[in-house]
Amino acid sequence: MPTVADIAAFCTLPRRPAQPPRGLWLIAPSLVLAVLFFYPLALILRAAFGEEGAPASLAAFREVLGSVLFLDGLEHTVVIAALSTLGCLVLGFTLSMAIAFVPFAGVKFAGRLIDAIISLPTFLVTLAFTFVYGSAGLLNAGLMREFGFALPPVDFLYSQWGVILAEITVYTPFVMRPLLAAFSTIETAQIEVASSLGARPWRIVGHIILPAALPALLAGGSLCLLLTVNEFGIVLFIGAKDVITLPLLIYGKAIQEFDYTSAAVIAVVNVALSLALYAVYRGVLGRFGGARAGLV
Amino acid sequence: MSQAQTLERVADGSPGGSRLAAAAGASRIHFEGISVTYGETTVLEGLTLTVNPGEIVALIGPSGSGKTTALRAVAGFVRPSAGRISIGARDVTDIAPHERNIGMVVQNYALFPHMTVAENVAFGLRARHIASRVVAERVPACLDMVGMRAYAQRYPRQLSGGQQQRVAIARAIAVKPQVLLLDEPLSALDTQIRRAMVDEIARLHRDLPELTVLYVTHDQTEALTLADHIGIMRDGRLQAFDRTRPLYQSPPTRFAAEFLGRANLLAVSKFLPIAYGRARVSIAGMSLEARNPHSLPPERRALLCIRPHHLRLAAASPAANRLLAAVESVQWQGEVLNLSLGIGDDRLLMTCPPGGSPPTIGSRIEVFCDPADVSLVPEDADRR
Amino acid sequence: MLVWSRSGRLLVWALVVPLMLVIYGLPMGVIVVASFARQWNGVLPSGFTLAHYAASLEGDSLASLTTSLATGFIASAVALISGTWAALALREVPRQRARLFDVLFFVPSAVPSVSVGLGLLVAFSHPPFLLNGTRWIVLAAHFVLISAFTYGNVRAGLTRVPLACEEVASSLGASPFYRLRRVTLPLLAPYLISAFSLSFALSMGELGATIMVYPPSWVTLPVHIFALSDRGAVFDAATLTTLLGLATVIVLTALSRLASRAAVR
Repeated sequence: MPTVADIAAFCTLPRRPAQPPRGLWLIAPSLVLAVLFFYPLALILRAAFGEEGAPASLAAFREVLGSVLFLDGLEHTVVIAALSTLGCLVLGFTLSMAIAFVPFAGVKFAGRLIDAIISLPTFLVTLAFTFVYGSAGLLNAGLMREFGFALPPVDFLYSQWGVILAEITVYTPFVMRPLLAAFSTIETAQIEVASSLGARPWRIVGHIILPAALPALLAGGSLCLLLTVNEFGIVLFIGAKDVITLPLLIYGKAIQEFDYTSAAVIAVVNVALSLALYAVYRGVLGRFGGARAGLV
Repeated sequence: MSQAQTLERVADGSPGGSRLAAAAGASRIHFEGISVTYGETTVLEGLTLTVNPGEIVALIGPSGSGKTTALRAVAGFVRPSAGRISIGARDVTDIAPHERNIGMVVQNYALFPHMTVAENVAFGLRARHIASRVVAERVPACLDMVGMRAYAQRYPRQLSGGQQQRVAIARAIAVKPQVLLLDEPLSALDTQIRRAMVDEIARLHRDLPELTVLYVTHDQTEALTLADHIGIMRDGRLQAFDRTRPLYQSPPTRFAAEFLGRANLLAVSKFLPIAYGRARVSIAGMSLEARNPHSLPPERRALLCIRPHHLRLAAASPAANRLLAAVESVQWQGEVLNLSLGIGDDRLLMTCPPGGSPPTIGSRIEVFCDPADVSLVPEDADRR
Repeated sequence: MLVWSRSGRLLVWALVVPLMLVIYGLPMGVIVVASFARQWNGVLPSGFTLAHYAASLEGDSLASLTTSLATGFIASAVALISGTWAALALREVPRQRARLFDVLFFVPSAVPSVSVGLGLLVAFSHPPFLLNGTRWIVLAAHFVLISAFTYGNVRAGLTRVPLACEEVASSLGASPFYRLRRVTLPLLAPYLISAFSLSFALSMGELGATIMVYPPSWVTLPVHIFALSDRGAVFDAATLTTLLGLATVIVLTALSRLASRAAVR
């Protein structure tokens, strides 16, 4: 049987005025993003299916995706991104371990250096590499003078190895940041107790540190993969003829050949790849919680 | 008719209680069938309750009982899914928090860290575009009231927890709110400072008798010291509501008896109402006289509520109303003696001053309780 | 501490410090040294000169430096406003929808910069939005690329602003706008500044999208550096890179001072 209060509540409910739709304020920023980002993105997709006005066709897709140029580009993109990420993870883990668990005087400075590198343009490292490892760089010059080589003996810079080395240098801090954050949450007491119980360092690494660092490693790694797939400046600056990645291919098609349809097709593939990697990254963050790699 | 409504009628029947003359301009808070749900979960169900002008009403209950939700509904941070809330004559259910004219103090003080103490206290006045001349008078006056005037130019991080809470109270009363909402205001403080702050709030209310206060706490001492009425919440429902003394002396439910003060609740095998609101009660084969404040009929299952400090060693007591019990443990705590006694299957806790020679463990003793101090509590009013 | 013995620790650092120096110290050092180098054909430069700096502070180079600074400041400021706006607005939205918008605001950070540039080129080369050939398309590209980072930083900062402070402000009679101005934004200030810093640094180094869309009248520093390096003027490129790094670090340091002052209050 309904009580008086129930009846009162029932009667008064409709009196409540209609709420102004929440999130009205969201319209402005959403609109800006829609015009400047999603609309252009949609136009790329449209352009990939042929000229405006003409009926949509898969002709451009078929042509571009079958071309050697594209397949080469895709292969380079994937190989470079995968190897760079692997390198970043190994180097980042090693350096972070040293900084976090074998403390010394310059630890704070090292932390600042990492932040500084993240904020510097990626091509800085590439430019520096040409001075160090380039055919006329100081390493080759030194070796040629000392050992009388006729040709520059160090000759990896203008191959994909040069790109990979540069990307490892640039993106390792992106792995170190979440790792250092994760390490700082491991209680030193835990490690001290393990040590006092006679656990060897490698055992501590395997049983305490690695499990704690796994989410950060995954997050940093997937972010690295995303960034290296998208990397443009490093590849452009090294300018090796046979190291062409997808972003470089888009640039070449659009700016140098004015072939917007092919550029759009490649961009669609590249964006799809990036979004898939981004989904993985968000998935990792969502699954393992907050250890964001510091940026996105 | 629901239990909540019965309770409300009781509360309204004694308007003001100890504070008969509320100053003009004082406002009451009225909950009318307030329910709050989040998705599937109901955190507050059909709360009907009135805080009369100039009163302090404490809502107590364990965490998750809905007491803070009730307070936040008054402040406007929680939207009721049903029911109306009014402050004074005004229905505020659909009014934004900043237009409700309330003062609020929360557990973690929530002082604005980027403002000085004076700026914090002035905040509400400035937000209402009060003339600076008035602000300049009111801020020191409010800081005086909580003894914080000397700290006007400090920043919150330079103050102790107790000092921060004083500032938070000054900030809340500076705007001359219609009602003051205190949400666990002392929970973050040390025991000693907490005691001092309870006195402080009591004094403040003597200075501002027109202030209507809703005080949410899980601490029964704070509630007993400060409140005119106490509401006991559990699982989103108001379990009991009454003036403080009757609620303590005649708890209407087992939960109310146990949550407000310490209580022994003994199983009553049978009882017989007698004259003057009393009953003759049988416990473990012994017979006692007790109050029957809720006029329970004899067929109702009941418990006998005896507060530990109401028991006395029988030697120097009247011959009637005695219980024979076995001493199970004796604990000396300096100012009091704690005894644990066995009666039938029940255990009886007793506290008494430590004079003389304490009973020895294993001995059987007689204890006395005044019929006016013990009361019958309905057994099945509670789903435990 | 994993390595207990003093010698062990020294060994670790004897390996790690040189490694870090080679990986990070060497490139930065080399760029700086190159900016002062007269010629560099051997292990060390054959002489030092300030001529590259003199050349960098005039003509096209100076113009590109100011262009980059202007682009960085404007794009970051706009991104800050829009990101803060979005993050604040998102708090009012039911959880489910907020998650969707959250992803939408973050997506630009996942899309390759070259594709962002291509999209802008395709979209804004003809009416109604004819931006191609103007500086606005560069600003738009930078805005899109940094907006997600600004948004993310502000959103992270917002979670640190105590809700109780905002609620108490409301209860004291502060209207939503007054509360925003006097409580939320001041408490958010350190995060706003660091969001701006990050955006600014990203904008200063942006190359992929800019190179797709820039008009001859609005050449940013990275584009100019690439042109120089492509032409073989590597010393001038190194000098401008040094200046770029220096300008970024100066602005970031100044802002982080400001942020820590805002946080102390």
